[in-house]
Amino acid sequence: MKWTELVIPGLFIWLIQLLIADFLAIETIRPDFVAILVLYWAVKYGRTVGTLSGFLMGLLIDLSGTASFFGLSPMIYSITGYLGGYLMGTYSRLNPLYFSISWIAILTLQFMIFCVVQYQDIWVTNPQLFFGKWIGTTLYTLSFVGILQVIYPFHKIT
Amino acid sequence: MRGLYLAIVRKRDHLLFVLSLFFSSFLLLNNDDPRMRVIRGKTTDIVAFISSPMTWVKSLMFLEEENQLLREKTLSLSLQIESMLNLHKENDQLLGMLDFKRQTKLFLKPARVVNKGIQPNLLSIVIDVGAEDGIKGNQPVLTPKGVIGKTIETGESASIVQLITDVNFRLSVRILPSGATGILRWLGNGIGQVREVQKNVEITIGNKVITSGFSDIYPAGLPVGEVAGVFDERGSFQKIVNINLPNDMSAFQYVFVIVENSYEMD
Repeated sequence: MKWTELVIPGLFIWLIQLLIADFLAIETIRPDFVAILVLYWAVKYGRTVGTLSGFLMGLLIDLSGTASFFGLSPMIYSITGYLGGYLMGTYSRLNPLYFSISWIAILTLQFMIFCVVQYQDIWVTNPQLFFGKWIGTTLYTLSFVGILQVIYPFHKIT
Repeated sequence: MRGLYLAIVRKRDHLLFVLSLFFSSFLLLNNDDPRMRVIRGKTTDIVAFISSPMTWVKSLMFLEEENQLLREKTLSLSLQIESMLNLHKENDQLLGMLDFKRQTKLFLKPARVVNKGIQPNLLSIVIDVGAEDGIKGNQPVLTPKGVIGKTIETGESASIVQLITDVNFRLSVRILPSGATGILRWLGNGIGQVREVQKNVEITIGNKVITSGFSDIYPAGLPVGEVAGVFDERGSFQKIVNINLPNDMSAFQYVFVIVENSYEMD
């Protein structure tokens, strides 16, 4: 693995997230391309690369204009990278349905942790709104992963 | 020793994960560290620089539409000015009668939104003014429609603004004409919720909501929104008031930062 295989896509996706994601926003919800990239890296390169790249990408995201909870993105992307690493090379051993459920669960967990920390207040005062934010953010990003599964599926890289 | 080294190498993925969680938690718990603020200020400048070409493209995209809106607004405002000039004369006479004079000075700094944050939810923006323009942390940010947030971190030429849509944002507000005060928080879909409002006050839909002036950050009288609903829970000593926030969070491109305000009473 060359370092450019990580640095170039990393910078490219960071720029996409920084400059383009806003055009794809539905009200205040935007797709999280960085989470998708970290998941792809983790499935391709394993837990160590997944965790480290998740942490560094998260740090880059938080340094790019985060008002509150600085440090939350490195945490959630590290978790995605670490858990995604368990899927490395498992497509041939796992039932495709379980494999798909696994990466959906990883992304859902990531957004749940994000929302629990970021929206801890509305979790208490308005659980319906909290679940709306969590599920909305998760489904929107999952829909982009779904499109990517047609173009460049996970099992091709495992 | 060699055994320990081999164990670390063997379990490096788990160890790395624990370390990353530890460092993330450390960062989360040290959000207010001054050294961290300096780093975030510098990176905000870089982000603003990188985002500026895209902001320029965006401005061009909306130029014609904005031009049309501005023309309509100009016409509407010129009509309003006529009406306000008459009201101003009347107001001067009344103030003279009460022997009361108040001067409110707000120094506004216009700014352009260069980036609307990077997180999956719209919670913060980056604006193109910073310490060089006299911007500091905790300064109110508003649009002509009303309060939109406050500055959090400042770089040399850019600043991060925490938006009213961040659920951790709080604003002390006053509801007119009753004068009832409460604490505003964002609820979602352009709606804010004011809590801790006295139960015995009369509030109706359409009442204006402004900043109370109790906060060290926001001067009194800045527009915030208008009442959309009042909830009077039985057994509670307080009312809950929902308000419509006038700003469309996905559409604004320019904001104002209140860099200084002073009240003089004589």
